[in-house]
Amino acid sequence: MHAEILGNRVIPSSESIIDANRTPILLLKASRAGISTLPYLVTDSVRNIMSVFDFPVVVFAVNPFCYDGFKTAKNKSALYRAVKSLGMNYKFAVCAQPLRGEMVSFKSFFGKCEQDQALKEISERVYGVFGIPICKLHVQRVGGEAFLCGFQPLKKEEIVSQDLRLIGEEVSEMSNLGEHLVG
Amino acid sequence: MNTWLAKIACFVEKYNFSDPREERALENFKQAAVRLGHEFDFMFRGDVSGIRGYDAVFIRATTDPLFTAYVVSKTAFELGLKVIDDPKSIQICGNKIHQYALFEKYGVPHIPTLFINKDEFHHRQILDIFREFGKPVVIKAPYTSFSRYVEKVACETSFREVALRFFRKSDVLTVQKFMPTAFDWRVGVLNDEILYVCKYMIPKGKWKHGAKLRGKPTVIWGRTFSMKRENAPVRLKEVALKACGIIGHGLYGVDIKEVNGEYVVVEVNDNPSIYAGYEDLRNEDVYGKIISYLAD
Repeated sequence: MHAEILGNRVIPSSESIIDANRTPILLLKASRAGISTLPYLVTDSVRNIMSVFDFPVVVFAVNPFCYDGFKTAKNKSALYRAVKSLGMNYKFAVCAQPLRGEMVSFKSFFGKCEQDQALKEISERVYGVFGIPICKLHVQRVGGEAFLCGFQPLKKEEIVSQDLRLIGEEVSEMSNLGEHLVG
Repeated sequence: MNTWLAKIACFVEKYNFSDPREERALENFKQAAVRLGHEFDFMFRGDVSGIRGYDAVFIRATTDPLFTAYVVSKTAFELGLKVIDDPKSIQICGNKIHQYALFEKYGVPHIPTLFINKDEFHHRQILDIFREFGKPVVIKAPYTSFSRYVEKVACETSFREVALRFFRKSDVLTVQKFMPTAFDWRVGVLNDEILYVCKYMIPKGKWKHGAKLRGKPTVIWGRTFSMKRENAPVRLKEVALKACGIIGHGLYGVDIKEVNGEYVVVEVNDNPSIYAGYEDLRNEDVYGKIISYLAD
């Protein structure tokens, strides 16, 4: 942000980084960009979640201190545990979504991933909206459709040599296209 | 039939109602809204998903890019609602390093300031700082609010102790020249107009408005003197407006020191405190002006 304030072009922007890491903002911006998402609820109340969604539900943290992805809850007590844990003992709100299918988590590098077409499309479009080159995406697969559910920064230890090769190829391709001259 | 002109949500947390002066101020906002024909609802963390049903959002809970208040602000902004505080202001005011960089870039008069980096922190650097600013100096963490994480140091040992403590949470700190004054000006600004002007007095024997008693966790606050905005010095108002103008066009509280007849900005705060009987004492239209801005 400091570089941005001083007039430099920064990719990804600090705004994109903050927004992608807050699930409700991620989903709002993604759905406005035409990426399929499911309905979601931002709250710190288990009762609110139960009044809106039937079990099972998937819960994401809204605070920036949890890196554990998400928790699924099939009943009330599991939901209490999930809200308490991801809300850091009710200090922060959580983002709940209905769990209608299967959760799939995968790495995305420069909008590319080694998944099926539906997930490849989500990965590419999320990269188009937020411009974050290295991340993990959480997607719900319902029948033949895929819905974006969450975003997670990728830890250094999660990047394996195969990923590094992919990143290297992508960077050299960008350099060949002259993109290193800007930004 | 719904006859409200605008629906305004006021995002609050439970702690906003723990101080009776703030609780009264929130009630004053509600009354001002109703008087002007608007609906005004308090929105807590559990009700955030209902934000789409409103025309404007007024955030009174403490703002920080890490807090739920930012999610509320950004959601409102993305949905095209009028919002105080807007997400950009929260980002800039949440980090004083960025703010001082902006002051320098746009020539806003501010307290002489240096940045120190965790990796370059060295004995010689401390000596250079003392040589340039004299002793004592003020060390400030970038995420300071309510006078916290701002400490005065007069020797290398305490400089190191404070800096290392602040470096745990931030790689860069600000060091400022110590400018003792009997009070700090607090100028409330809304949409590039002066909203209120106060003097935040420094408690006797202390050096900042909110100071801890020695060895106790209690914070004592200096008295607040409010004055009519028309009566405030013209140059003070100019400096306040210039400082806010580079951040945004929302609601801000600018802290300014008056040193030898010159006004220097200490910092610009988003989400400024508005307590009944304090900031509003000589400018009672504070509530109405903010509501009108939100409903406009």
